[in-house]
Amino acid sequence: MNPEYSVSTAELASLAPEIVLTVGGSLLLLLEAFAPRLRRSFHWLGLAFVAAASWYVATLPAGPSFAGLIEASSLTAAFSQAVLLAAALGLLVAPGYLSRERLLAGEYPALLLWCAAGLLLLVRGVELLTLFVALELLSLCLYGLAGFHRRIASSAEAALKYFLMGAFVSAFLVYGIALVYGETGSTRIEGIAAALARGQGSPGLLLLGFLLLACGFAFKLSLVPFHAWAPDVYQGAPSPVVAFLSVAPKVASVVVLVRLVLLVAESPLGGKWPDLLALLAAASMLVGNLFALVQRDIKRMLAYSGIAHMGYVMIPLAAPGPHSWQPVLVYLVAYVLMNAGAFAIVTMIYGQPGEQHAISSLAGWGYRFPLLAGCLTVCMVSLAGVPPTAGFLGKYFVFLHAIEHGRLGLALIGIATSLIGVAFYLRVVYMLYMKPEVAAPEGFVIDFGGRVGAVIAAGGSLLLGIWPQRFLSWVAASFERL
Amino acid sequence: MSTSFLDLLLGDTITRFVFFPTVAGLPLLLMRRAPAATVKIYALVVSLVELALIGLFVVGRWGSTGALLARDAVLPWIDLAPLSVVYEVGLDGISLPLVLLTGLLLPIVLLGSWNGIDKHWGGYAFSMLLLTTGILGALVALDLFVFYVFWEVMLIPMYLIIGIWGAERRIYAAVKFFLFTMAGSLLMLIGILWLGWTYGRLTGVWSFRYEDLLRLELPIDQQLWLFGAFAIAFAIKVPMFPVHTWLPDAHVEAPTGGSVILAGILLKLGTYGFLRFALPLFPHAADRLTPWLLALALVGIVYGALVAWVQVDMKKLVAYSSIAHLGFVMLGIMACDLVAWQGALIQMVNHGLSTGALFLLVGMLYERRHTKKFEDFGGLAKPMPWFATVLVFSTLASVGLPALNGFVGEFMILVGTFKAGWRWFAALSTVGVVLAAIYLLKMLQQTIWGPITREENESVPDLGLREALTLAPLCVLMLWIGVAPKPFLEPSRPALAALLEDYRSRCAEPAPDEPLLAPARVSAGSPTFAAGVVDQEAGR
Repeated sequence: MNPEYSVSTAELASLAPEIVLTVGGSLLLLLEAFAPRLRRSFHWLGLAFVAAASWYVATLPAGPSFAGLIEASSLTAAFSQAVLLAAALGLLVAPGYLSRERLLAGEYPALLLWCAAGLLLLVRGVELLTLFVALELLSLCLYGLAGFHRRIASSAEAALKYFLMGAFVSAFLVYGIALVYGETGSTRIEGIAAALARGQGSPGLLLLGFLLLACGFAFKLSLVPFHAWAPDVYQGAPSPVVAFLSVAPKVASVVVLVRLVLLVAESPLGGKWPDLLALLAAASMLVGNLFALVQRDIKRMLAYSGIAHMGYVMIPLAAPGPHSWQPVLVYLVAYVLMNAGAFAIVTMIYGQPGEQHAISSLAGWGYRFPLLAGCLTVCMVSLAGVPPTAGFLGKYFVFLHAIEHGRLGLALIGIATSLIGVAFYLRVVYMLYMKPEVAAPEGFVIDFGGRVGAVIAAGGSLLLGIWPQRFLSWVAASFERL
Repeated sequence: MSTSFLDLLLGDTITRFVFFPTVAGLPLLLMRRAPAATVKIYALVVSLVELALIGLFVVGRWGSTGALLARDAVLPWIDLAPLSVVYEVGLDGISLPLVLLTGLLLPIVLLGSWNGIDKHWGGYAFSMLLLTTGILGALVALDLFVFYVFWEVMLIPMYLIIGIWGAERRIYAAVKFFLFTMAGSLLMLIGILWLGWTYGRLTGVWSFRYEDLLRLELPIDQQLWLFGAFAIAFAIKVPMFPVHTWLPDAHVEAPTGGSVILAGILLKLGTYGFLRFALPLFPHAADRLTPWLLALALVGIVYGALVAWVQVDMKKLVAYSSIAHLGFVMLGIMACDLVAWQGALIQMVNHGLSTGALFLLVGMLYERRHTKKFEDFGGLAKPMPWFATVLVFSTLASVGLPALNGFVGEFMILVGTFKAGWRWFAALSTVGVVLAAIYLLKMLQQTIWGPITREENESVPDLGLREALTLAPLCVLMLWIGVAPKPFLEPSRPALAALLEDYRSRCAEPAPDEPLLAPARVSAGSPTFAAGVVDQEAGR
């Protein structure tokens, strides 16, 4: 790097979204220290910062900055907005839970905002070390959030498990980065691509390096066989955290994984990669759906369902190309809405923190919580991929991509596993409306913010399925220059 | 595009009567604390307005020339180049009878559920209205993707109706219904996507429009696979013989209204799908598999009748009789003859009327006595003369007594099948007619005739005014169709004739080795969709 390099104002401006989020988080922390009486408004302040970041993301001029370490494009903007949507939902549902558990504190929104900053960097980073730093930033915040319920053991256990998994990921990534850098002499994606095109470096070591990198992100995405941590972490961590943790990091990690896959697939090394990804996708869909079938805890069920959904997201990567971005983005936005929505509702109607989230205790609650149960039903139907919902729209684009690019087999596996999925998603609906109530809910808190979050998620899932045109033109606009 | 969806929704269009039930039903979800009577009357009014909307729409276009009665402006729906789906609906002679039947059955079902549904009436009515939107949408869709979406929209409300308001084993029945139907329709989804992709490969523009996809000439092996995918989805819905097992469960466990709508309309969507999509899109495959499907239809007729014969429960008997009756419809459709097709279409309506009436009657009896077993009845004609009259009437219509509607349909199907050269099938299926007489008359004998064997039956109240109102329109139509079927057959004739001519001419040519695109149908002499917009690629 150029030793005389100095940061210009324009370059700082290109970091505006991240800066807003970081400063916002720090401000909330200071307010927590000096004006704790304002606590009730912290989450709304946090939302304001997310909104500001979203505005900056939308207005950011396209192009690389910081000498090509990060870039801004309509594509990164689109994925960044998906991340910010997840952050907003995470902020909306949290205060009710936190005040019920007497945990309301500025640290929560602060950690969440910092995590969002890391996620945005991850989406925009085009250099391996930047990506690594972004990943560490967001992971550290998530460890804190996963263990936020400091008085119950399962939360601490979840945090520890998540931390151990994260440590593995870091090790994988650092090793991978070292190998790739050693062979190509560059850590920038562009530089690596150029080196690969020249045929520089030993193919064996390079492949090993890329495999390590891919494994790291497959861990983050909880793709089979790197998925074992997800159910435990989801079950133990506080539900509003899971609403965020189960979607936002996945969106950002998918972006990096797609970048890596495209980088390798378009190089001479790319031969077997599509098949490898097809295998990951198929295994994730099968294992996720089959294991979800036997879960009795709704959070574990949703964890396995999340594994399966990441499998569906991987389908377009089995035929990699610039065209893979589009179905991935559609699917991820749908996933953010329906999955965060489901966890948001779980947060509200299950009064007990920790490990009791039995699906069977939902029995008859459909009539007790008409609005939330309705929203949960919509989210479940959407997760099952039944039209007219966002989940179906996502599946439609993914399967279409598979058929179009000669992956009919993968589409058929996807279809078959969707059918399995229907069985366990519908069990939730069945419990809500078709069973007599067995246990009156205890200690549930349904607050305004949470209700708004649930309605946004469920309404969005329906709207995207029924009237997707505005959303799709936005998607199309994001890919115009690709 | 100058028109918007809102314009369609508010104008005198197909879209309006498709979506009106759901939109007007939304307030039902908010009426949680309203008195039950308010909810019921509101839902009934909505259903009557819906019937009026359909009626006015059809009357306004009655006798219009051409097979396609009406078509709404085409709107872009899912548009992410090059993958585009348009929202396109139209009404022709094939969908018309079923649309009218749906409109008619909706108020009848709501009226028939007045007292039988004792909890969450608002939710029940909303599910029914949402279901109606799904049914009507699937019947008028002229884009396969739109068709698929409406097809799936039907699933959730029906699942809820069986699962929440059903009998003891309702959960099992609801889940079985859902999984069977979903399995079939997911296969169909792959088929639809494949068709759209093939069209895109040939023209550069994806399309799921029926009109466009009809132009695809596919090699025989592809046709066989795709026909298989569609046929399984539709056969499950009909249901045809090996995949019928969900039906008795669903029927027996569903509440009366659910059974009526299920037997009356949902099953017809399977046969409608064969007629509208599976046969015209894959003529060579359909032609090759005709004997097999005829055989399955025949097995369904005989098997359904034999199993119905041994039932001891009225509702189960009617449920199994549906398998037999729908077997006749399938026989007529696969015979590929104009008379048989006309008969099949009218038989779909007939079955909706007579089986609908039978399910309503069984439901009324159940409300009074809380049993459906033959052994608990006997001699009901004495305390319930009106009930007995209507039951005899509907049963005879179902048996196929001349001068009632069932005769018209079955006769035309048998004649058409015979004429088309499937003589043995026609001859053997008459066994089904005989068996129908045996098991249905057995039901009459054991329930309403003979001496009164149980004390409780001495004083069962007869039909009330509401119940009579529920049944009257069905009885009137059964008689009307039976005596003067011509006005009911005539509107469908041009559409069926055009479809058949098209089907035959395509079968006559050999299937190509590679997917090809035929010239636009507009010039191919098919008036079915003559009102359509000529495609840009038509000049290729």
